[in-house]
Amino acid sequence: MTILQRIKNKVRARSIHVAYVDVGSCNGCDIEVLACLAPRYDIEQYGIYVHNNPREADVLLVIGAYTPGWEEKLAMVWEKIPDPKVAVAIGNCPISGCLFNRRESFVDAPVKKHIPIAAEVPGCPPRPTEILQAILSVRDSVFANWEEHHP
Amino acid sequence: MGQSLIWYLKEFSRLEWIHKFLFAKTAPLVTPSYSRGFPEPTGKACQHALFCMMACPAPGAIEVVHAGDGWIPRIHKGHCIRCGLCVEACPNGVLKSGRILETMERDGTSLLFSFRISIDPDLCTGCGNCATACPVNKQIDAQLGAGGHFSNDEVIMRVLDGDVRVLHEEKCTGCKTCETSCPTRAIQIARILEGIQQPSQGSGP
Amino acid sequence: MKRTVDVNIPLGPIHPCFKEPVRLKCEAKGERIIGAELELGYMKKGIERIMKGRPWQEVMFLAERVCGICSVIHNMVFIEAMEQISGISVPPRAAYLRVIANELDRMQSHLIANFSYCYTIEHETLGMYLLDLREQVMDELERLTGARVTCAYMIPGGVRCDISREDAEHLLSAVDRMEQDLRRYAGMFSDGPMIALRSRGIGILTQEAAQRAHAVGPTARASGIALDCRLNHPTYRKLGFVPVSRPDCDNFARIMVRFDEVAQSISIIRKCLQDLPTGIIRGGGVCKEGETRYSGEAPRGELTYFIRSDEYGRIADIQIQTPSIMNIEACCHEMIIGVDSVADVTSTFISADPCVACTER
Repeated sequence: MTILQRIKNKVRARSIHVAYVDVGSCNGCDIEVLACLAPRYDIEQYGIYVHNNPREADVLLVIGAYTPGWEEKLAMVWEKIPDPKVAVAIGNCPISGCLFNRRESFVDAPVKKHIPIAAEVPGCPPRPTEILQAILSVRDSVFANWEEHHP
Repeated sequence: MGQSLIWYLKEFSRLEWIHKFLFAKTAPLVTPSYSRGFPEPTGKACQHALFCMMACPAPGAIEVVHAGDGWIPRIHKGHCIRCGLCVEACPNGVLKSGRILETMERDGTSLLFSFRISIDPDLCTGCGNCATACPVNKQIDAQLGAGGHFSNDEVIMRVLDGDVRVLHEEKCTGCKTCETSCPTRAIQIARILEGIQQPSQGSGP
Repeated sequence: MKRTVDVNIPLGPIHPCFKEPVRLKCEAKGERIIGAELELGYMKKGIERIMKGRPWQEVMFLAERVCGICSVIHNMVFIEAMEQISGISVPPRAAYLRVIANELDRMQSHLIANFSYCYTIEHETLGMYLLDLREQVMDELERLTGARVTCAYMIPGGVRCDISREDAEHLLSAVDRMEQDLRRYAGMFSDGPMIALRSRGIGILTQEAAQRAHAVGPTARASGIALDCRLNHPTYRKLGFVPVSRPDCDNFARIMVRFDEVAQSISIIRKCLQDLPTGIIRGGGVCKEGETRYSGEAPRGELTYFIRSDEYGRIADIQIQTPSIMNIEACCHEMIIGVDSVADVTSTFISADPCVACTER
């Protein structure tokens, strides 16, 4: 590993821009992500900036159970994000559909079928401490040596 | 301009602000003990009563599997909504989550289950799938065969005169195997849940 | 007279200020908005269809997850509707504990609505102060019920767990600290000159327009209509509840009504804790057959459940009327028309506190 690559890995892990997409959730996981931004569980101190622009994002947070209104649109948003990129599923809904995974609902769980998901945080909704622990454990390895894994 | 300057000076010279500026740290990432987490086993032996599976509202969250010689409930984290009903419904206290077991003991609260069978006579074809598939029937009548031959009348339901009759509703455990085996969706099981409280010594603080 | 539209401005599903996906197409002439059209449908899950044929222990969790911000009131209205059908009465201690959980939930919902508004006006500092205050409220809610959001605290016949003496004293002292902080932040909002420039006189919803669009909740109470479903609830009547309202009908009044309601909730919680009766918390009771319509006061307005149940207490037919349906209609057809600048469209929309997840369950 050259010194340049080492510097790249360190810089990428310490400055992450996040955009989130709500594909049809109940808003519970959404406000727990907002609670991460609150001064109590400050997520900006780790260099993670949550704005909402897919064009400038490194990490896409997917929240909610996949509803028919987002049929091809989620894939379009995923394509718009420039490389290197990673998608993280927050909550039970994108993993398995949570309570809505019944025969009668319109939900098409899991979201893994539509875009590639790298990490999951289970819970309905997960506590901000759990979201932060998941992000902190994953941030060093997720962008490391990106050029070698994805030529 | 002068008024806002005075306001800012007053704001930044409050003792509370100075204390927070010098000594505040962000909260440590710990989950408090009273928060309901994913249910975990306590170590007591599971008796395969399956009330946890009957009470769970999320599909595919809990199942009771073999563990050596006995049984243990297993929680799938991506499905469990951490409601705590399985912890309250278990008669043997096999699962724990947050403060639920302590409050159950302190207040004397518990959940009471009862199951009711209802068969729609217009949809029922009298095929006997439900009676043959029922696991409680199989336990009661060891000679239960695929044609629906029954050796005694202690079973929950059986085919009599071309119709399925319910004989012993109280023995039903609510597993809904009959519902899944019925071709016309004629039989329905109702899981009736009641939250009760029997205070043992005094009530409330 | 032909109406000339210069440009159609879409405020898309993914937007920094909107928390939920909704498409707002504004027709503008220059910078003045002359029409707006709302496109929903990004969050439809079919919850009412899933609820059919299920018993209360599964429908209760589905009802909570209609909206995660106001989840406690959905739980409460559903359970109280089932109790009205089946004739189950609630022990007095459980009724007071229900009111405490409901008011804590109302406080955190109003604080997050005001945070959204401050964030939209770009006053991030005040927004972060409000989120910090909200964390204290969530702590208390977690101590009482066991979970921060989607608490599942109420069951037919009572509540799930009791409050111990240490927790009750902790809640009483925490509520005092919250009141002090709230007075400071509400003062900062009402005295700030920049906030007044962006909020006073913008997004006018006159009383006649509010009645025409059937606005409910703080949106209507800021236009002088002092209606509140809590006036019909026996426990609230025992506590002597009086709704708050303001006569000026702009963005500023809506935010101040929410601040006033948070202060009112704090005083209700204090009264409940002082008058808390002793006794059991679960009265038992089985759900039976019947049909009813029951209304409660969600943080955003009047929430109504129309329920019909079969002979074992399973739901045969259910319909949920959430307050955001009326409020979003009032917002798009009355408030946004005539707004003088595109930047004010987002702040007006957010000041009506839309909850799109409630609107399309």
